[in-house]
Amino acid sequence: MDRTLKTRLEARLGEHLRVPVYQRQDQTEIRIDPGSVPEVLRIVHDALDLRFEILADLAGVDTGDRMQIVYHLWSPMTTDWLRIIVDGISRDDPRTPSATFLWTGAEWLEREAYDMFGIIFDGNRDLRRIFMPPDYTSFPLRKDFLLPDDAARSTGAGVRHVEQAHTPAIVADNPAAGIRRTPAS
Amino acid sequence: MPARPTAPRPQNSRVKARAAQPQPQQQEPSADDPRVMLDRQLGTLYEPIPPYPTRTEREGEFYSLGDGEMFLNLGPHHPATHGVLRLVLKLSGEQVVDVDPVLGYLHRGVEKICENSDYYHVIDQVDPLEYVSSLFQEWPAVLAFEKLMDVQVPRRAEYIRVLSGELLRVASHTLFMGFQALDLGGLTPILYGFIERDEIVEMLAALTGARMLFNYFRIGGVNGDLNHEFMSRLGDWMSRAAKQSQAQSALLNENEIFVRRMRDVGVLDRATALRYGVSGPNLRAAGVPFDVRRAHPYSIYPELDFNVPTRDEGDALARYLLRVDEIRESIKIIDQCLNNMPDGPITAKLPRLLRPRPGRAWAAVEGPRGMQGVYAMSDGTDQPYRFRIHDPSFVNIQTVPAILPGGLLADTMAIVASLDPIMGGIDK
Amino acid sequence: MRAIPIRPVLAYPGQFWGRRSLVERLAMILIPAAMVAAVVTAVVLYLAIPPLLDFLGANFPLIRFFIAATAILVLTIPTAFVLIYLELKVIARMNLRVGPNRVGPWGIAMSLMPGLKVLSKEDFTPTGADATVFTLAPVVTFLASVMTLLVIPFAPGVVGLDLNIGLLYFFAMGGLTVLGLLMAGWSSFNKYSLLGGLRSAAQIISYEIPLTLSVVGVIILASTKTAQTLSLNHIVLAQSGSALDWFVFKQPLAFLIFFIAATAEANRTPFDMTEADSEIVAGFATEYSGMRFGFFFFAEYVNVFIVSALAATIFFGGWNAPFNWPWPVNLNAFQPLSYGPAVWFAVAAMVVLVGTYFLAMVVRLLGGRSWDAGSALVMGAIVIFVIVGGVVTLAGFIALDWVRGIVWFMAKTYAFVITFVWMRATLPRVRVDQLMGFAWKWLLPASLVNLFVTATAVLILNR
Repeated sequence: MDRTLKTRLEARLGEHLRVPVYQRQDQTEIRIDPGSVPEVLRIVHDALDLRFEILADLAGVDTGDRMQIVYHLWSPMTTDWLRIIVDGISRDDPRTPSATFLWTGAEWLEREAYDMFGIIFDGNRDLRRIFMPPDYTSFPLRKDFLLPDDAARSTGAGVRHVEQAHTPAIVADNPAAGIRRTPAS
Repeated sequence: MPARPTAPRPQNSRVKARAAQPQPQQQEPSADDPRVMLDRQLGTLYEPIPPYPTRTEREGEFYSLGDGEMFLNLGPHHPATHGVLRLVLKLSGEQVVDVDPVLGYLHRGVEKICENSDYYHVIDQVDPLEYVSSLFQEWPAVLAFEKLMDVQVPRRAEYIRVLSGELLRVASHTLFMGFQALDLGGLTPILYGFIERDEIVEMLAALTGARMLFNYFRIGGVNGDLNHEFMSRLGDWMSRAAKQSQAQSALLNENEIFVRRMRDVGVLDRATALRYGVSGPNLRAAGVPFDVRRAHPYSIYPELDFNVPTRDEGDALARYLLRVDEIRESIKIIDQCLNNMPDGPITAKLPRLLRPRPGRAWAAVEGPRGMQGVYAMSDGTDQPYRFRIHDPSFVNIQTVPAILPGGLLADTMAIVASLDPIMGGIDK
Repeated sequence: MRAIPIRPVLAYPGQFWGRRSLVERLAMILIPAAMVAAVVTAVVLYLAIPPLLDFLGANFPLIRFFIAATAILVLTIPTAFVLIYLELKVIARMNLRVGPNRVGPWGIAMSLMPGLKVLSKEDFTPTGADATVFTLAPVVTFLASVMTLLVIPFAPGVVGLDLNIGLLYFFAMGGLTVLGLLMAGWSSFNKYSLLGGLRSAAQIISYEIPLTLSVVGVIILASTKTAQTLSLNHIVLAQSGSALDWFVFKQPLAFLIFFIAATAEANRTPFDMTEADSEIVAGFATEYSGMRFGFFFFAEYVNVFIVSALAATIFFGGWNAPFNWPWPVNLNAFQPLSYGPAVWFAVAAMVVLVGTYFLAMVVRLLGGRSWDAGSALVMGAIVIFVIVGGVVTLAGFIALDWVRGIVWFMAKTYAFVITFVWMRATLPRVRVDQLMGFAWKWLLPASLVNLFVTATAVLILNR
């Protein structure tokens, strides 16, 4: 846990941080809005006392009522991993700026987030599906993804029982149970 | 035998129920459907890759042919693409102009499955990602869960983890050498590689119970202690290991044909590698000494004495030689582990029903292909809320459109093999 | 009391036929047909044999040619089988594996399996392929390879056709394989095939030049000893004597160039870009299946055999023994033809029957309970035939010069074949542009230098 990292981040990023910098074990976490992504990434990448030049991961998260993008970065200047959570992406129109201006390698990671969640990355030159077939119509890792809906639309036409177009009992009785919401993030 | 007319089969209730359900209306079959391709072929008989309506800028750029260029589909069914990788190549004669890798033929939805399985089951689910080195898939998952649950792993368990991990790293690199030679046309080194790998895998089978998908690490330790058979096999192997790896690499390192086909082929320079987020031997062969074991040490690696080999050229030969060096370093690490193995328990005490507090954790380890990472989110139940796997081969394959153009078709295989991809991990 | 019918009473037409078993049906068709055929054949032969014999006597060379051509066509099949078996086993041993050992004793029937397999597969033409060219391509490739066997001298007097332009004919026919591969690559309507076909055409054409130029040196040397220098038979005769007369010692560079170029001509590793199965699946043969692929498959192995045979012939003395038969053993006192057929028949029958029984007992004794009577007898028969064959071959080796010639020729050829197989097991593939560069930048100048030096040397030494 690197306390100095917290002060440096607060000094550099200031108003972009939505909540205080959270540190636990060997990870430092900050939360920003989608609009701040290009600036924050640029600052964190270029600043001489931060120098987070290695993008370790770019993940999408569906928290039930909103979506998030989570970046993990590594820097030689600190012993902690930096986690940037881009919070507040709406589920109905998920858009966020792309990180490809800084790391070309983010292109496929963003394609994966788009494929699995439906998050549109503005600025990604190649935002098409990467795992699923090009004409697939659902986003599998969303919390409201149900296999029968998906199977019924495919040319396979849902032959197995699990693909039959009926609503599972747990959701029919309690619609709120269809989407698992994480309580504290 | 003339067909006798038979009575119509009686409809049972299941058939009647299905017929009574509202049928999904017939929609236009998707563009991926092979039947559609045959119909479209009437108009475009001579174009084997049906042009989709292009959706993105890059796709439009790729799927428009220049003068004298053609598409060649190094398809998922191919003797040498390391699994089901589809590379759509744009060729001008024999020279590769552009390449578009198409993934997803082995996508199994592991992340979604892990969201619906409890924490023990996740370890089993995550094994077949990079099946060649499955302990390195379990390790970051287990590390992330330990961070979520604040579990302290006993030292003996850490030593056993490092020991088995480094053994598996040797096995994986040995197999890489064999596959590299096989993709270049040499039939023999892969069989020698499998002999080597078989010894190690049998050892690990004596330790863990399985030869390939080990399911050995547990949250807080490992599943079983070292036993006599494992130690005797390990002792036998260690007495020959250095010489054997030397002999195996001697078959290829001095071979003029092999070297000439790999030198200056598929050069991945330092800036490109960093921009793409490449990790592991591919990054170190480009001159960046980034190794997660040194950059962000985990387990007992701070106590171990080993070098991180780095090379500057960035071509396929450098990647190959680097992995040969890494085998030697791994043997050193195994030696140190054996000499300093402490006594003690091999798992931490954990409740049977694991319910960590809500939180988030990220952990990364250095696998044979690069940085393997896991981002786990817990919501207080006994199933992870989000289980994100970061696979190194996924990022390594992304460099293919940058390093393949300019080379010949024959170099394609050499370059892809030198990146050492495993499709299970790429497609999750 | 029921009346016993004198003739069978047929209840419906076809009852008699329908009640016969398969064997009875076949017998009822074939035996009368055989009787009729025998009568007809006897009549035809009685009428036609004298003019036929006159015709044969008058045109003996033509008949000899037909027999030779048929013989080489037929002999390619066992050659291919032996080569396939060698490839499987030798590469396996080099890979520290065992190779096939289940199908037949020591796996020797395994090489029959590809043959049977390609015969039994579905033979289709892909959509869009040019059907005529697609069908003819394997024929052209196979025939081009096989026709070259016509001029290779297996033994003194045993040569298909002793052409006085034999070597030129050989290279001309070898070049025809390019045509077959190009036809296959183009007509398959498949980009992999196209790439493979073009690569193979480029490769074979490039390597033909050093191949032929390296042999010209040998021709110049042979011209010092014989007048018909392009005839392979005469080239072999020019190397008669001892092993030191072989041309490899006088033309080492030419041999090296020839060997490398021959590897490329035969599309063998390290020059097997055309069928690089880790890149372009099967190259020009991607779309082929069934017997058409079988033709390509066999053509490749026959190609290996013929380049080995040519190397043995031109550089290593062909059917010449490396040293003169040292022991004064000869079988001149033994005149087998004078004993008459009856004696030989009796001796053969006795040897086979007694030997089979005796060896069956030996096998049963040594092998224990696992051998039942039938298998022991079969094994005994096999062993006695092997022993008799060995004895006859040994006798022929000592007595007849053509048996000696064939044995030495085959030994040398198979030494080269095993060298080719060895290279396949060991070496990776050379890349296509490196391959071409090697041929044009290194082999061609080297063969020209060799030619120049040889010609100068011959001129000076003969002055």
